[in-house]
Amino acid sequence: MASYTKPDDDQVLVEQKSSTRVIILNRTRQLNALSFYMVSRLLEIFLEDEGNPDIKLVIMKGNGRAFCAGGDVSAVVRDVKGGDWRLGAKFFENEFKLNYLMATYSKPQVSILNGIVMGGGAGASIHGRFRVATEKTVFAMPETELGLFPDVGSSYFLSRLPGFFGEYVGLIGARLDGAEMLTCGLATHFVPSSKLPLLEESLYKVENNDATAVSAIIDKYSEQPSLKEDSVYHSRMDAINRCFSRKTVEEILYYLEMEAMNNKADNWASATIQTLKKASPTSLKVFLKLIRKARLQGVGQCLVTDYRVVCHVLQGRYSKDFFEGCRAILIDKDRKPKWEPSRLELVSDSDVDGYFSKLDDEGWKDLELPERLNNLPPYVISKL
Amino acid sequence: MDNDNRRASRRTEVLSKHLFPHPLTTTALLSTSNCLSYSPPELSSSNPVSFDTSRMRALLDGHNLDDRDWLFGLIVQSPLFNRQERGGRVFVSVDYNHTMEQQREETMRRIGYLLDRGVFRGWLTGDGPQEELRKLALHEVVSMYDHSLAVKIGVHIFLWGGAVKFLGTKRHHDKWLRATENYELKGCFAMTELGHGSNVRGVETVTTYDSRTGEFVINTPCESAQKYWIGGAANHATHTIVFSQLYINGGNQGVHAFICPIRDSSGNVCPNVRIAECGHKIGLNGVDNGRIWFDNVRIPRENLLNSVADVSPRGEYLSSIKNVDQRFAAFLAPLTSGRVTIASSAVYISKIGLSIAIRYALTRRAFSMTPNGPEILLLDYPSHQRRLLPLLAKIYAMSFAAIELKMMYVNRTPESNKAIHIVSSAYKATFTWNNMRTLQECREACGGQGIKSENRIGPFKGEFDVHSTFEGDNNVLMQQISKALLGEFIVCQTKKKPFRGLGLEHMNNPAPVIPSQLTSSILMSREFQLDLFHLRERDLLRRFAAEVSQYQTQGESKESAFNLSYQVAEDLGRAFSERAILKTFIEIESKVPAGSLKDVLGLLRSLYALISVDEDAAFLRYGYLSTENAAAVRKEVPKLCTELRPHAFALVSSFGIPDAFLSPIAYDWVGSNAWSSAQH
Repeated sequence: MASYTKPDDDQVLVEQKSSTRVIILNRTRQLNALSFYMVSRLLEIFLEDEGNPDIKLVIMKGNGRAFCAGGDVSAVVRDVKGGDWRLGAKFFENEFKLNYLMATYSKPQVSILNGIVMGGGAGASIHGRFRVATEKTVFAMPETELGLFPDVGSSYFLSRLPGFFGEYVGLIGARLDGAEMLTCGLATHFVPSSKLPLLEESLYKVENNDATAVSAIIDKYSEQPSLKEDSVYHSRMDAINRCFSRKTVEEILYYLEMEAMNNKADNWASATIQTLKKASPTSLKVFLKLIRKARLQGVGQCLVTDYRVVCHVLQGRYSKDFFEGCRAILIDKDRKPKWEPSRLELVSDSDVDGYFSKLDDEGWKDLELPERLNNLPPYVISKL
Repeated sequence: MDNDNRRASRRTEVLSKHLFPHPLTTTALLSTSNCLSYSPPELSSSNPVSFDTSRMRALLDGHNLDDRDWLFGLIVQSPLFNRQERGGRVFVSVDYNHTMEQQREETMRRIGYLLDRGVFRGWLTGDGPQEELRKLALHEVVSMYDHSLAVKIGVHIFLWGGAVKFLGTKRHHDKWLRATENYELKGCFAMTELGHGSNVRGVETVTTYDSRTGEFVINTPCESAQKYWIGGAANHATHTIVFSQLYINGGNQGVHAFICPIRDSSGNVCPNVRIAECGHKIGLNGVDNGRIWFDNVRIPRENLLNSVADVSPRGEYLSSIKNVDQRFAAFLAPLTSGRVTIASSAVYISKIGLSIAIRYALTRRAFSMTPNGPEILLLDYPSHQRRLLPLLAKIYAMSFAAIELKMMYVNRTPESNKAIHIVSSAYKATFTWNNMRTLQECREACGGQGIKSENRIGPFKGEFDVHSTFEGDNNVLMQQISKALLGEFIVCQTKKKPFRGLGLEHMNNPAPVIPSQLTSSILMSREFQLDLFHLRERDLLRRFAAEVSQYQTQGESKESAFNLSYQVAEDLGRAFSERAILKTFIEIESKVPAGSLKDVLGLLRSLYALISVDEDAAFLRYGYLSTENAAAVRKEVPKLCTELRPHAFALVSSFGIPDAFLSPIAYDWVGSNAWSSAQH
């Protein structure tokens, strides 16, 4: 980890307000993108606090205009290009362990999503018990345009969204606002940003880790926002279910095209097709399989699967789209990635299956999930 | 002493609570809680996952895993499938409070949804093993949701559509196959009559040909000839296949199949057709079984399904198959696919039952060993292990055998048809009987919770009971196996040629010798297990042949000799099935590379073999095992159960059944039964 010889302690600010732990992501220039240091530090804090009887509640938030814009993948790419993909895998290993810990945490986590929440940022919040959206929230899982796939265990929570909205959000990288997040269930509450300071003050007074009591406090500041007129959630759910329930990405595209043909006045379907066509064909197919498997799995298994897939991505045997995507979007910024294979029909099922197998690489092991206590609250047990 | 002290202090505590009652606040309840809590088996160190469950699942499902997962998702994500949230998880199942009529309408709505999502695409118009395997996999998933839905689809596509495809020719295919796949019509299959079920050749419906108009005339001559149990007939079907005796110029040409419309597109019953309801049933109430009478109904000559035989416009009977027996066998071809799907779906239903009962047994406790000690998990009782784990081993064995049967079926050739008939009959009977037994044991193993419909096992007992009757009564099928084996035996004896096929090659070798003293390592060896199964099968086959021939020398007819030898016939049918299952298990196991997965398969295979031996008195009755050796087998069973106990969780997880298809008691049954869960 050559790039982290001087860990920047400021990247994660940690406070304690009576029984409440407050964690502030503070890497504002990078929109709080999670560095290796941040992921490791968060893991440390969560592990320590779990056994600390003085901490009853965890608040997570971000400084600046983002909660967290994702994992710092360009650093990972630098590491992998330096020669050893296993170095890059270490980042994901810690990140996914953190995701699992958050998903199965015995104390309520309240994430205040007052700004951008993407990729790894979603992983660091949605798994927790409470997610507070505001009018400034912008949510997305944009990985398929990067040649990656929605990871951080997102296949677990996306697959549990109503109908086939999860497929839509993950394949398209669709942007959702706070009201949409609340309606589909990604957020548990909507609080106007002006009321956040008061909400936090109230949360500091929490005396035990009873989630019902925490929920009641947040309820006091919550509002029922109305979905914007042209929200997909509102007007497109039928079309989304019709198209995104199909067996393959090719069929999804076919049905979107039918949708576009039958409804020429409206450009939602054709815009959706354009977005799909820009994404890495491999990423689309891998994610579709991932979310379909995820519906049958608990959150731990989802993260183990994510880790297998991401290691294959880093190892680059089947495709190097992730490096190409990072080049085109993050490094050269020409936004013209050359995907390989370049078309959906060139990505074989057996290559897609390959991403889900154990890696044939000496010393490689499946993700080992942190051990959990036995007295977990029911909302955690239901995720196992 | 220590114990006495503890008891004394507990007593003091109880007394002091009586004397100084605490106000009953929520926090007090929570903090002093001695209540049972649900401990997820996923987190328990007594359930280590020592092998790759996704690889195990791939072995168990055998094919089309992605298609299965897709369909699981289609069902779980749609509001049409009665999603219920319990304890933070979503479960799907039919609404048990609904009436028969409501269930039937829901079945049709679900079919409409699956149709729209392309589930049935290629089920009739597709060809080749890949298409067939996809169809079988998807149908298995449907049957795990609801048997009515699976049967309703099965009747329309496999029976009606299958008859058109296999018994019809191009003119029928062009007209009906795609239309059937798209549900432009709804087909049913009128074979069984009130007076004739398994004996299809005896049906009394009569069809004659009228050469003046070029029409067939179908008639129900008497009440016992009414078509009975016709799935789809009572409410929805627009067309039916009719099995009927065909008379040409007064001569009976045997049973033939015809297409006959029974309702118009608005659902009105056609003239000269009468239809009545079969009434409420012990299961499958989402299927509209009906009774049909034909009052000289006229249909065009082209509606005879004529791949086997035809009638010319002038009324001449034409058939390429002159032998009446062979002709009849050809007409029953569509039923083979039914037996294959029933055998396989019985295995999947047992998997659901076992997943629920074993998961429950890994979380539910009862009784302590010591006065203040913790209560014991159900599955830590050796007796509870003995009830469930052998059934688990059997279902592993039968999963592999079901895949083998499906592969035989989809790769069928004219030469393999006989073997498929025999194996599908054997497995259909064996797996469906085993399923009923498994469900009953699982129901009891869940105690009172097994009684609740939402926990699925109870309703399954009614729903799947019919498996032992339709597409061939199990007892009749088992007798047919013995008959067919005897046929092979006689041919090989008289022509002095070796046995080939049906796994009977072992008959060509000298009889295996069973060691006089069976040690654990011998009992666990696959060579020994297979030897013992071979010994039983070869002896029973010879015994059966001898008994039949003895009755014949005493003057009995061949048929009567068979009927009198039914006891050995039953033993032989069982010996054949169990040997075939064991052999497939060994083949699967041998392809798995050395490692933890192979090791656990070895344990399961041994438990399957030994429990089968323990349960069949034939081994003692006919002396294949000495009483000492039979006792050694019996003693080994609990040992194997103990060895499998730590794997039980991983073994049911490997079934790959989504939690939504199991039930609340398989998961957090404290949470799902909490007061707060009852408040909405």
